[in-house]
Amino acid sequence: MDGRLTEISRREVLRYLQWRGGEVPEELARQLDGCQAALLAAARPRVVWQRYDLCPDMTLLGTAFRLQGQAVARLLADCREVILFCATLGLETETRLRRAQAGNMAEAVVLDAMGSAAIENVCDNLCGDLAKQFAPRYLTDRFSPGYGDMPIAQQRALFDTLDVTRKIGVTLTESYLMVPQKSVTAVVGIADRPQPRRRGCGSCVNFENCAYRKEGKYCEA
Amino acid sequence: MKRKDLTLLDGGMGTMLQRAGLPIGQSPERWNMAFPERVTAVHRQYVAAGSRVLYTNTFGVNRFRAARCGATVEAMIDAGVACAREAARGVDAEVALDVGPIGQLLAPLGTLSFQEAYDVFAQVMRRGQAAGADRIVIETMSDLYEVKAAVLAARECTDLPVWVTMTFGENGRTFTGTTVPAMALTLEGLGVEAMGFNCSVGPRELVALARELRRWTDKTIIFKPNAGLPNPATGGYDMTAEAFAAACAQALECGVTIFGGCCGTTPDYIAALGRVLDEGGEVTRRQGVKRSGICSATKAVAMDGVHVIGERINPTGKKALQQALRQGDMDAVATLAIAQQDAGAEILDVNVGVPGLDEAEMMAQAVRAVQAVSDLPVQIDSSDPATIAAGLRAVNGKAVVNSVSGSRASLEAVLPLCKKYGAAVVGLCMDEKGIPRTWQERVAIAKRIMEAATAVGIPKSDIWIDCLTLTVSAQQEQAAETLRAVRYVTEELGLATVLGVSNISFGLPQRQQITVSFLTQALQCGLRMPIVNPNQEAIMDAVAAYRVLSGEDRDSTDYIARMGRVSPAAVVSAESAMPLEEAVLRGLGPQVAEATREALASADPLQVVNDKLIPALDRVGQLYEQEKLYLPQLINAANAACAGFDVVRQAILAQGGSSVSRGKIVLATVQGDIHDIGKNIVKVVLENYGYTVIDLGRDVAPETVVEAVIREGARLLGLSALMTTTVSKMAETIAAVRRSGHNCKIMVGGAVLTADYAAEIGADYYARDAKQSADIAGKVLG
Repeated sequence: MDGRLTEISRREVLRYLQWRGGEVPEELARQLDGCQAALLAAARPRVVWQRYDLCPDMTLLGTAFRLQGQAVARLLADCREVILFCATLGLETETRLRRAQAGNMAEAVVLDAMGSAAIENVCDNLCGDLAKQFAPRYLTDRFSPGYGDMPIAQQRALFDTLDVTRKIGVTLTESYLMVPQKSVTAVVGIADRPQPRRRGCGSCVNFENCAYRKEGKYCEA
Repeated sequence: MKRKDLTLLDGGMGTMLQRAGLPIGQSPERWNMAFPERVTAVHRQYVAAGSRVLYTNTFGVNRFRAARCGATVEAMIDAGVACAREAARGVDAEVALDVGPIGQLLAPLGTLSFQEAYDVFAQVMRRGQAAGADRIVIETMSDLYEVKAAVLAARECTDLPVWVTMTFGENGRTFTGTTVPAMALTLEGLGVEAMGFNCSVGPRELVALARELRRWTDKTIIFKPNAGLPNPATGGYDMTAEAFAAACAQALECGVTIFGGCCGTTPDYIAALGRVLDEGGEVTRRQGVKRSGICSATKAVAMDGVHVIGERINPTGKKALQQALRQGDMDAVATLAIAQQDAGAEILDVNVGVPGLDEAEMMAQAVRAVQAVSDLPVQIDSSDPATIAAGLRAVNGKAVVNSVSGSRASLEAVLPLCKKYGAAVVGLCMDEKGIPRTWQERVAIAKRIMEAATAVGIPKSDIWIDCLTLTVSAQQEQAAETLRAVRYVTEELGLATVLGVSNISFGLPQRQQITVSFLTQALQCGLRMPIVNPNQEAIMDAVAAYRVLSGEDRDSTDYIARMGRVSPAAVVSAESAMPLEEAVLRGLGPQVAEATREALASADPLQVVNDKLIPALDRVGQLYEQEKLYLPQLINAANAACAGFDVVRQAILAQGGSSVSRGKIVLATVQGDIHDIGKNIVKVVLENYGYTVIDLGRDVAPETVVEAVIREGARLLGLSALMTTTVSKMAETIAAVRRSGHNCKIMVGGAVLTADYAAEIGADYYARDAKQSADIAGKVLG
């Protein structure tokens, strides 16, 4: 089904571009505007999700998918139901990014950052919609294969369970990378009491490869 | 079902097996071996519901899936066909080998090569025929290129008839962007027996697409939708059997004759479908003329109005492009494709004829390079049959071949290739004896080509004629002959014409005046596809004006938009001259070129490089390190500096010197990794610092890297990897290079790397960003 892309956060884009504060130069601002228009024109956000009952052994009932790792088990400690989802900006965006890389690398860098911000927005919107749909119950944060100790190889089972490729056209390489690259898979728990929002570097997706952290600094997220 | 003019297929298989206890997400094909009686029972239920074509439970069978299941493709196929065959026994039902998508995206966007995909399908299909399937159905396809690999495998490796259905969204496109016309044009050409839709959305949304398909094909149309839209909270679908059947029956009016169901449909749905169709109306045949044209995977160029073919991907007389092709550098080709598309070309001619090069291999690479960055259909420009075949095999969509001549040898070699791959063909009005002088003789050759092409089964709409332009300064009377031939071929033979017009003005001053005037007259004579340089504004202006006068450009909308636009070149040149360093800093290429030219007036080229360009880049680098510049600005500045280097290079060549390069660097994103944006940034920056970069791309095997550094004699190798999981491949690649004994420094980069980690896996340098990679290159290569 269609996903909702409502905003590309300029702040987030600048952060991906390793902004260290200060005025944004006029030529760059113009480039950001142009790229934003191009990305919005290319993006065809799509999402697929499904609710499952969660068995005590972390298997999703009726499926062959068993969630692995301590981290996801902790996240879902209060949950007996989970949602799997996959969101993507679509192959049109991928094509646009590759075209930019062949033509104008500066544009490609900006578009890539915009794409990252955009897919986060699609995920935020989806999770917001799900939170409403499953109210008055509560959703946990989202958690993806490859985070913490959940093996990236679990992407395969997630893809097979949710029938991702057939439903929204995202494919998986033999090394578990998604194409289109601007795609996200995740598990979200449904709980009967409010769930903590995790903050700080320790729970960040980018913990391992954060440019700020490598320099001993912090981002603003 | 009682009707004899319709065929009833089956419904969902996965749905039924899940009801019988198959865990969701587990390969249904395992059950062919584990519980054959349960699979056969599902087939039997469909037979009882009226299905007369049974799709085998082999949708996901391929060598990748088999390996994950610990089974063989052969065993899974044999068991799957046997289950359906068992259910078909004693009833008049066919068994169709069900072949689904591989699940990986093909290159260039994905990593699976076309040939690999072909091999995967060939293995499945050969076994399917051996196991006794009656036909092959390729279904739920999204990627037209993958479909092509599958259809070619079916047609080359089996004798079975082939059906193809693709899955479309409500926007009328597949996930990879393929449209209904692109599917129709491509599959008609590849010779499938029937085509249509499966899965997708519900039947209501699909009817409009079926109507569109009927306008583009006379083939049998298949209609096998889902039971409406899925409900993620329950896992079900939203249509009842009766509603589903009633909605499907609407497709009779679109000429559909083969019906079935996909996800969410069960034997109840198929039984209801049979009942409703029995009472349904007549099958409506197509109204009006079948539409024709050529296409890429995502864009069709229909045979109506004028379409510009861009001629610039042609190394004849272009030293730089020849040089790039010799080095296997396809970036130059991609850049030309983008520039022409941006200028308004609708078809791209691809010619890679360089003496001493393997033209066939070059053509396949160039076609892929063009299609990686452009969605325009391509024209494969060669007279060599092997090159044409390589291009036709590599192309995604339906191409046009330029060209066949009227000589017997050419007709016999080229036309069967066009027929096999379903391409349109350009016929040149010349033969063994050369180009005839009169229009009548040229028309006679056009007729001969038309008859030969029709005889091998190429439809008239796919035969385009080139009446040939000769240089008016050398053979003045020939211009009129060409124009008369164009008019006759258009009006009397009813064929579309193409014409390379630039040649007309060779040797005359103000060539453009002659070229534009000739182009306009040719269009008036009926020329449909001028082959031109679309980057010449006057040419495209003339085409835009013609489209207004011919009525093609309704309300002059496109013309007004074109004329109202301010060209970027005008804006830039309006700004005053500025010092070289400032121009580099602000990323203004034209100003950098201008300032470099000025500097060259009073200094020799190497001085300009060392005293002006390099210091300017160094300043940019410092500012970036001081966090006063953003990454895009760094790249813009590097690109702008490149304009300066280009000027210097030309100056050196003009003085008879050899080109300046600060040294060779090989770059690659390691095997298993497809995130290559970082590597591409590094490439641009290094090139613009004056280094020669050999870019091996992404997902590059260790042995390819080793081979390249040895072949190129590179003293510096750069490797990138983004994922933790692919860094191990980086270590492996470094080890392979060290083992080979080739003495080069290795720098590595990527989000998950650190200096310590880089040292641990045996790299000489860790490059945190593009700027550092340039510093390292400076250290290693000077």
